[in-house]
Amino acid sequence: MRNKKISGISAMILILFLPFFNWIKVVNLVALFSKIGVTKEMAKDLLTGYNLYNLFSFIRYANQGVLGLFAMVLLLLSFAAIYFNAAFIIRSFIGGKEGKENLSYLAAGKFAFLFSFLTAFATIAFVIFSNVKFKMIGFLPGVVVYLQLAIGLSAYIYIKIVEKKEREKYKEHGLLGEIKKNWVLFVMLIPTFIYFLINNYLPMLGVYFAFTSFNFRDGLWSSPFIGFKNFEFLIKADLFRLTRNTILYNVVFIGIGNVLQIVFAILVSRVTHKWFKKTSQTLMFMPYFVSFVILKVIVYNVFEYQYGLINNIMTGMGGQRIDFYNTPSYWPLFITFFYLWKNIGYGMVVYLATIMGIDNEIYEAARVDGAGDLQQIWYITLPHIKPTFIILLLYALGSIMKGQFELFYQLVGNNGVLFNVTDIFDTYVYRITMTQPLSIGLGTAAGLYQSLFGFLIIVLVNFVVKKRNPDYALF
Amino acid sequence: MAKDLDFEPSAPKTIKKSTGTKIFEAVAYLLLAAGSIICVLPFIIIVSGSFTDNSTILTQGYSLLPKNFTFSAYETIFRSPKDILQAYKMTIYYTVVGTGLGLLMITLTGYVISRKEFKYRNTVSFLIYFTSIFGGGMIPWYLMYANVLQLKGSTLAIWFPALMSPFLVILMRTFIVGAVPDAITESAKIDGAGHFTIFFKIVLPVLKPGLATVGLFLALGYWNDWYRSSMFSTNSSTWQLQFYLYDLLNATTAMKQMASNVSMKTADLPTESVKLAMAVVATGPVLLVYPFVQRFFVSGITVGAVKG
Repeated sequence: MRNKKISGISAMILILFLPFFNWIKVVNLVALFSKIGVTKEMAKDLLTGYNLYNLFSFIRYANQGVLGLFAMVLLLLSFAAIYFNAAFIIRSFIGGKEGKENLSYLAAGKFAFLFSFLTAFATIAFVIFSNVKFKMIGFLPGVVVYLQLAIGLSAYIYIKIVEKKEREKYKEHGLLGEIKKNWVLFVMLIPTFIYFLINNYLPMLGVYFAFTSFNFRDGLWSSPFIGFKNFEFLIKADLFRLTRNTILYNVVFIGIGNVLQIVFAILVSRVTHKWFKKTSQTLMFMPYFVSFVILKVIVYNVFEYQYGLINNIMTGMGGQRIDFYNTPSYWPLFITFFYLWKNIGYGMVVYLATIMGIDNEIYEAARVDGAGDLQQIWYITLPHIKPTFIILLLYALGSIMKGQFELFYQLVGNNGVLFNVTDIFDTYVYRITMTQPLSIGLGTAAGLYQSLFGFLIIVLVNFVVKKRNPDYALF
Repeated sequence: MAKDLDFEPSAPKTIKKSTGTKIFEAVAYLLLAAGSIICVLPFIIIVSGSFTDNSTILTQGYSLLPKNFTFSAYETIFRSPKDILQAYKMTIYYTVVGTGLGLLMITLTGYVISRKEFKYRNTVSFLIYFTSIFGGGMIPWYLMYANVLQLKGSTLAIWFPALMSPFLVILMRTFIVGAVPDAITESAKIDGAGHFTIFFKIVLPVLKPGLATVGLFLALGYWNDWYRSSMFSTNSSTWQLQFYLYDLLNATTAMKQMASNVSMKTADLPTESVKLAMAVVATGPVLLVYPFVQRFFVSGITVGAVKG
């Protein structure tokens, strides 16, 4: 069923996506430019026809930020279309099993054609949108757009028909059939769908702000598009410091945290008095349950200059007061300590559960053979908790770009003296959000960099792990 | 052979401890005691400070045991309890609404993605999981609520964003798969039960540990949150309790600054011991309930860690 002929359509679609064709033509130049305020100076950098890749140069040089978000959606759609079509061609040539797998092959084709159709459709919508916005016919879609529209639509319909026949062969049904059959399950998912759409997926479009320079006159949606300027500025100013701090703190947290969690879990498991076991576990787990604001209270109490416990003790012993809040070098230590204070109990519970799952007979046998406690731990306990350790390690590596925002913010707050050693991406972006609305482009850029970099690390880690031992794969 | 067997030690249940073991155990007890004390010490400092006379703190600083025992800090708080009661009320409201709705949505989702007959369960699971590995960042998220939905100042913006999390959905799915064998739901289906009937009549009744665990995770999150108030509240009457405490901490610092500037009487200001008493009042409920619900968190963490 691998149909090389259908994949020819994909090849055609890909050709139309090459940057030689004009997807959007600029017409009525003089009228348009006077209407949208393009001077002769600016017009030098403008073209009469654009494809989806250099459309942003028009938005930038004609200073039309209002079209930016739409243009980004177009670009993303075209990337998706190119990806799906290329993948479909590859699948057509690499033979797979016959049978039910044909359905997933056809579904891949359906996606490919659907997205090329959608891209063409959205391009026409973009043209209409900008013409309405400027109240004149200033843009027209190129021939290639209509061609793409027609090819995408007819190929989609064709593959749909093929798929229907194929489905009847295996008595499978598609999305509509599934909805008809299990509509109750879909209804159950509606609140969840709305939640993740609002809270996670729609905000992803907001990464567009990373490429704009926000000002109040133009507002959020039509502020000037400035390309990668924000990123350039970030690289020059804060990027290195933020990356270094975020990663270094996390490495220290992961390293020391896991070691201490394992040590305490083993100790708890080897203590004989049951009440002691329970009490120590309860007490060490307790800090996990208090809010980070309480942590702020605690840190303030201990390290405050005038009344703080430590300075109190220092002066009591005839020493000098230490001005902790103005001395950055102490804070990596404090932050690490309080991270551990709050999280030892949590990880301890995880490891303890694994240790409790070890068959007691193994220890008995070792004891009969004369193995001491340390030997038992080294040769029995540690090998048994290795899988748990690796899973936790992989998860931690996956989120190595995510900072412990609440911890850092409550401990350091807006104390600028300490920022050099305590600022992480999350605190940096939070400060911009709350106090510097003019820098939201910069803040979004920092957030996007953090998110993308973190995502790449996760994909990389997962890829390597999947190759070596699929059991540990994250997804 | 029989002779050999005689030489087998008649194996007392507890083998006599060697000196090495004794030393090891002593060290274990010592380290655990030290760890426990370090974890509890800060709480003791807070509580004892809250019972200490304010002028004692100002002259002698914080200490481990209250030097001049007094209830005056608590009296100060409860003399004009309007603000703190409002913060309490709002926090309880957010916690109840958020936990209730969130638990319902998480359980429904967990049920759907654990159904084998649901063809798109893997797709849905992945779309939910994906949100934990990639996101638009804090600013687009903030602008979504503040600018697009215009929710700044509303209570919705405070409880809505924390209704669900990928971790809790996956955790709930694991609980459901463990608690409800496929055979039972299958036979119910053959008897003609719809999904809602199966969900409410069969799944929910046997899911109590899972519901308790996920519900407590949600409730703890709501109780301890201050962040969304800091972003979305425009009026102190909608503040969460922790943010109220946070504001009090900062305001006292600011006010002390102000007092020294204008040489006002420090007695008129919220004082050090009042801050600590507030901290106790804000955390008290969590720490009181904690010993009784700890096991649910332990089970949740264990189940979650095993299945990822």
